[in-house]
Amino acid sequence: MKDLKHLIYFEDLLQEANNELVQQAQKEGMKCVGYMCENVPEPLLNLPGIFSSRLRAPRTGSIDVGTYYLTSFLCEYSRAILERALEGGYNYLDACITPDGCTMLNRCVENMDLLHAMGKDKLGFFFDYMEIPMKADYNGLDLYIVQCQNHILKPLAENYGIDTSDAAIRKAVDQHNKICELIRAIGDFRKLDEPTITGYEYNVICLATYVAPKHLIQGMLEETLEELKVRKPDDKPWFRARVEVVGSEVDDTDFIKIVEDSGAFVCADRFCYGSLPGRDPIYLNDEEDALTQICRAYMYRGECPRYMDTPTMDGRREYVAEIAKEYKADGIIYQQMKFCDPWAYERMLGSHILREDYGYPVLAVDRPYAIGTSGQMRTRVQAFIESIDIKKIQKEG
Amino acid sequence: MASKKFNTMVNPEKIKGDTRYGDLYKPHGKVRKRREWRGLGDTLYDYTRWMGILLTLGKFMVVPRNIKFFFRYRWMANYLAVPMMVDRFTQGLRGEYLRIAHEEQDLIIIDVAKLLGNLARGDRRVGNDEEFSKINVLVDENEMTAVMMGFPNLKCTSRETPSTYVPVLLNQHAVEHYLDVVQEYGLPGDVCPMPAAEAGTSMDDDAPILGACAIQCNTTCDGSLLSNGVLSRKLEKEDGIPVFQLPAPLRHKEEDVQDYAAEEIRRAIKFIEENTGHKWDWDYYFECARRVNIATKARNEWLDMNKTPYPQVFGGNLALYTETNYMAICGKVPEFERADKRITKLAEKAYKKQKMAAPEYRHRAIVWGVQSHFYMDFLVWLLNCWGIVPLTDMLSCINTEMIAETDTPENREQAYYDMAMLTEEMIMRNRTHGGYKVLLDDLFEFVEQFDADMIILWEHITCKALDGMHGLFEDRARDLGVPLMWVNHQLFDPRVVSRQGVRDQVNQFMRTVMQEEPLDPTLEILDDENSW
Amino acid sequence: MKKFLLKTLLYVLTGGLAFFVVTFTVYFFNLDMKLTSSLEPLLLKWYDRIPRNQHL
Repeated sequence: MKDLKHLIYFEDLLQEANNELVQQAQKEGMKCVGYMCENVPEPLLNLPGIFSSRLRAPRTGSIDVGTYYLTSFLCEYSRAILERALEGGYNYLDACITPDGCTMLNRCVENMDLLHAMGKDKLGFFFDYMEIPMKADYNGLDLYIVQCQNHILKPLAENYGIDTSDAAIRKAVDQHNKICELIRAIGDFRKLDEPTITGYEYNVICLATYVAPKHLIQGMLEETLEELKVRKPDDKPWFRARVEVVGSEVDDTDFIKIVEDSGAFVCADRFCYGSLPGRDPIYLNDEEDALTQICRAYMYRGECPRYMDTPTMDGRREYVAEIAKEYKADGIIYQQMKFCDPWAYERMLGSHILREDYGYPVLAVDRPYAIGTSGQMRTRVQAFIESIDIKKIQKEG
Repeated sequence: MASKKFNTMVNPEKIKGDTRYGDLYKPHGKVRKRREWRGLGDTLYDYTRWMGILLTLGKFMVVPRNIKFFFRYRWMANYLAVPMMVDRFTQGLRGEYLRIAHEEQDLIIIDVAKLLGNLARGDRRVGNDEEFSKINVLVDENEMTAVMMGFPNLKCTSRETPSTYVPVLLNQHAVEHYLDVVQEYGLPGDVCPMPAAEAGTSMDDDAPILGACAIQCNTTCDGSLLSNGVLSRKLEKEDGIPVFQLPAPLRHKEEDVQDYAAEEIRRAIKFIEENTGHKWDWDYYFECARRVNIATKARNEWLDMNKTPYPQVFGGNLALYTETNYMAICGKVPEFERADKRITKLAEKAYKKQKMAAPEYRHRAIVWGVQSHFYMDFLVWLLNCWGIVPLTDMLSCINTEMIAETDTPENREQAYYDMAMLTEEMIMRNRTHGGYKVLLDDLFEFVEQFDADMIILWEHITCKALDGMHGLFEDRARDLGVPLMWVNHQLFDPRVVSRQGVRDQVNQFMRTVMQEEPLDPTLEILDDENSW
Repeated sequence: MKKFLLKTLLYVLTGGLAFFVVTFTVYFFNLDMKLTSSLEPLLLKWYDRIPRNQHL
């Protein structure tokens, strides 16, 4: 297929946490708020005058210092982020907000805080920690609202004079929705029998929306969408099977690349930093305040395994199956970053349930944070694709 | 800052009987050659308590359904080792120390025997007493049972305590089978083995089935929260036992999570009422609350005593007893109130006489982190082998505040917050969650308060909450000049780090860093890999 | 009568002493644990034979 005009630019944006657009927005006088977990409502970090930067540690090499502080048993994401913070890689941030979502991310930020890894000479810089609900219900919603008020809106207003009114929140949601709608529209091309976008390209574009100021990236997304409308697929199908990737945090585009280089097409992305459901628009009504509606949307769409109530647990697997059906996946790859406790259990349960109750071929793998060109992963995915092929042949026969 | 230095205290009283405890071990053996000679009086006392334990076990086994239960569940085989567990926990103890240990241990044994009897009676596969089953409310192993403080006629029943938690205390290899089962299904070996073993027991079809309903809690970690999902799947979808998930906030020190926590307690109580038909009884609640306060007061007194040169209630027994009394009992069993009083009396008596538990006290240590469950008697070893007094451990540093205990309209409302507080600040999670202060800062405050000159830091290698403070513990100890000894282990799985592996870390630290020789060299290397 | 009482007392004392000697021997030489530890492998074999519906 013909190259997408902005793909290289999007790829470049992913090379540094403090990327070109982040710098540009800060030059415009905007403050940047770092966060690391999908449970922090993104629109609240994109109120007028601020923008969010979801922390990644691109081009991670040695994580020795991170490992010294967190040991080798914490996930490499938390170690890489801490390492990068200690190297000064997030000095551009004006605040860092984290939920006590999983223990590892929480500890990672606590280490940054205690080691004064950032914000030393920045007036107004703050770290804040949130409690987020573990059940999706009315009580969880009340908690979510209070936590967002006390640990996001209040410190932003107090430290930087940010307007946290309902009108300001609604404005941020509008901007958020524009990006979500664009991303979802771009992602819809993956549903085609002959898709006009690869999983890798989509992953790069989607990821860029998490790490760049929304208003600066919107135009390029619009252009990309127009391009895709007329983009011609290759004559010959370039993949042997369509797979849905499910699981824990993936911000390493190499992972999707390896999967696709092994003969698969990643048709759906149900993982943290993915678009399902991370890029679901939040449609607000006028009857209720915006904050409540945002919290409700985040809570009820939450696919994080930390949600412990039975309906949400069952819903997680149903959602994976629904997506697989919608995006015509032939198989599902349950991936888990090594040492991630929540996804260790969810991967075990999900992979068995999707196979046994929903009838999908499932590959369950664990992986490092930065996968590079892992031969092991390639072999496993190739074997999985072959097994899907064999099943198809058997079915046809 | 220079290292703290503690002057060795020599026991003016000679320890009676055996003092070379390593000689009692049989190489490669499961059990020891013989029991310890503690001098005539203490040996006869220990003998009578042994008889008492046999009586407890005998009473359990004369009930036919209990025999059936014994032969149905693999983990029951570990109960063959009950007397040996007591021997391990009382090694080297004499006089009041021995008596305090027996007060703690023997009562726990009686309590667990009752729990096993209840399980056997209600279990659909064994006793199948349906009426009895209906008055059982299942709770997690590592769950605060405060929500049961107002139900005098219901049984608060944990299946995991007798199937995974206690067996590892009895037999270090007890849950390896269940860990293998769960890993065969794809769970990685790098998650905490405690919830993993609980999930494995359920998956291996080796968990009794009973109860009107179940209350699960997110204590103590992400692993524990997630393994509940494995258990609830079976309970709800196969056994037809409704489950309520009780989330206790992680940032439990924050004011703005308490309303949420209290509301969840209200909902849990309502759920129990709806599923059992039993009504919440405030009189019983406040009676239990009074007993919780008595236990808190007693524990505070013991810990205060441990701040002096003559600590009396310490070591693995304290941790185990606290865990049982605080979490599982939570004021519901009057026998524990009596035991608290007896322990306090014994401790005060010994304190007045300035008694010491070992020939020498060379170091005063705070034991922090999550101890290796398969080697919980390690603290006795630490004392006997190296003269290190474990003044207190992290699991014993729990709530010190009194809760409302008189029945008034205001206190009824306060009670929900008290139950929430007890649940949130449950053993282990009160330190491993709630922000770094409760784990990191408090440790060094305890070092000051207890006048400790050493930190023993259990590093349960798959406890991510603890691992996540590794470097900061080390930095802070270095800054303050407190020797910090890491002791790695894998909680329930001695195949990863063996008991000798645990001891080796101490031996190496003591010889190389502290440049000391052991008090009892026979204990330094023990061939107990096959031991219970 | 006195003789009977004395005799009974003697029996009780002898019986008690014998009980003590036997149980104390078991206690001191750890015979109870030695016996139960030899039973454990047999029990484990038994548990292995129980049919189980092992699943998630």
